[in-house]
Amino acid sequence: MSIFLDKLFAHSTKFIAITILFIVAWIFTVLVEHSMESIHAFGFDFLTTDIWAPNLEKFGALPAIYGSVVSTFLAMILAIPLAIGVAIFLSELAPARLKTPVGVSIELLAAIPSVIYGMWGLFYFVPIIRDAFGGVGISMLTAGIILSIMILPFMAAVTRDAMNTTPDILKESAYALGGTKWDVIKDVIIPYAKAGIIGSVILALGRAIGETMAVTFVMGNVHKISLDLTMPATSIPVALANEFTEADGDLYYSSLFELSLILLVISFAIISVAKFYFLRRKRD
Amino acid sequence: MATIIDIKEEIALQVKDFEYTYAGADAPSVKKLNMPIAKNSITALIGPSGCGKTTLLRSFNRMHDLYPGNKYAGEILFKNRNILDKNEDLIHLRTQIGMIFQKPTAFPMSIFDNVAYGLRLQGIKNKTELQDRVEKSLQNAAIWKEVKDRLKHDANGLSGGQQQRLCIARAIAVEPEVLLFDEPTSALDPISTAGIEELVVELKEKVSIIIVTHNMQQAARVSDYTGFMYLGELIELGVTENMFVTPTEKLTEEYITGKFG
Repeated sequence: MSIFLDKLFAHSTKFIAITILFIVAWIFTVLVEHSMESIHAFGFDFLTTDIWAPNLEKFGALPAIYGSVVSTFLAMILAIPLAIGVAIFLSELAPARLKTPVGVSIELLAAIPSVIYGMWGLFYFVPIIRDAFGGVGISMLTAGIILSIMILPFMAAVTRDAMNTTPDILKESAYALGGTKWDVIKDVIIPYAKAGIIGSVILALGRAIGETMAVTFVMGNVHKISLDLTMPATSIPVALANEFTEADGDLYYSSLFELSLILLVISFAIISVAKFYFLRRKRD
Repeated sequence: MATIIDIKEEIALQVKDFEYTYAGADAPSVKKLNMPIAKNSITALIGPSGCGKTTLLRSFNRMHDLYPGNKYAGEILFKNRNILDKNEDLIHLRTQIGMIFQKPTAFPMSIFDNVAYGLRLQGIKNKTELQDRVEKSLQNAAIWKEVKDRLKHDANGLSGGQQQRLCIARAIAVEPEVLLFDEPTSALDPISTAGIEELVVELKEKVSIIIVTHNMQQAARVSDYTGFMYLGELIELGVTENMFVTPTEKLTEEYITGKFG
């Protein structure tokens, strides 16, 4: 009887695991299938055209790709130094009575649903950006800042955990040679935690580039490439969230699917790189 | 009262009525301890687990200060000052009193940078001077021949025994006067252990050495003086040859003959 249960358990778990593989393949197939019309109509030009004109049935992904890349890049530039700073504080500098409350708050911050960041951003950040930098406030810059606030807690928590894995004996060895706290952080802890820090950056990147709700509120969905960061812009997920319900016409619909396919490929690539880093770290 | 023999050499460190209490502990882990440490000699500290020997060792370079809430009492005299003084410059103290740990602790950097680390912390930037002192330290740690062709390689690629000798090279590069060894061979195989022991004996020409060990044979092989600690107290300090043959205290005899441990 117990052998039968063992087998049943093994087979059902195997079934669930294989289902996951199947779902990934299925999603990919559906996206490709629905993108076909747009792929046939525009070919590679889809990636390099900066016109998105539903009324003319002319679609190009460049403004959305540009918006995704720039808003994510802004978010990373702002978040990485802050996250490392917070992690250093939590793992090395904070007194014991601050470590837990601040650490738990950061984890809570990471659990806030992104739509709440979006609403908060729209009502509080947009006016601040408008007053400080001009423009309408709904802009690439606002999106970058909101994204950075959103990914910061996750990056800080993972970076802190990576720093905490530095063996005490290794830190003590550096102190025993006459190192100051700063020397030990910079020469021992950060190099030791490097793989973990890079991994957290890449995972945060993956989250930021696909983020929809937090930025939909504050970006404006304007398919126009502008070097002025205070101008409204769009990104792939923002365009998808705003336009799917109103997409009339097969080509419009198919072009949106091709946008989502591009996003999926980018996200897969980022996760693959992250995996590579984590695997290498495990082997070490 | 403890039996403490007279030291014929000069004294490197003098422990006086020393007490140490860990954060949150009711009773001190090291109690009213008096002990001289001879210069250019090897003093071994032995005793069962929890006897306070490592706690005492880590007081000599104030390692305990990295963790809040611990308390020292009494004095440890070194070069005419009490290093337990709250105004003691710990950075400077740790360049004078170096330490080797239970496990090899190569930093995540190249072999050269590992050995140069303490020198760079002292602000030495001159390339030739760094190269000279790194080479000299590696030679004195008997590892130069093995690593001279791969100084730029990651230090973590070395074997355990090589890494421990690298750590010794790193510690002697800053030319300390005292070296503390905290069970330096507990993570090593017998052959690497023999190499480290040989090296420790050679080093006493230049530095005074205190070595904590669980291994009584090791204490007998390398040390000039042996201190036996039990329950936070120094029971006996004697010349090593005599300690293991004719100990004065009954407790010492029971410990070294394996009646408890």
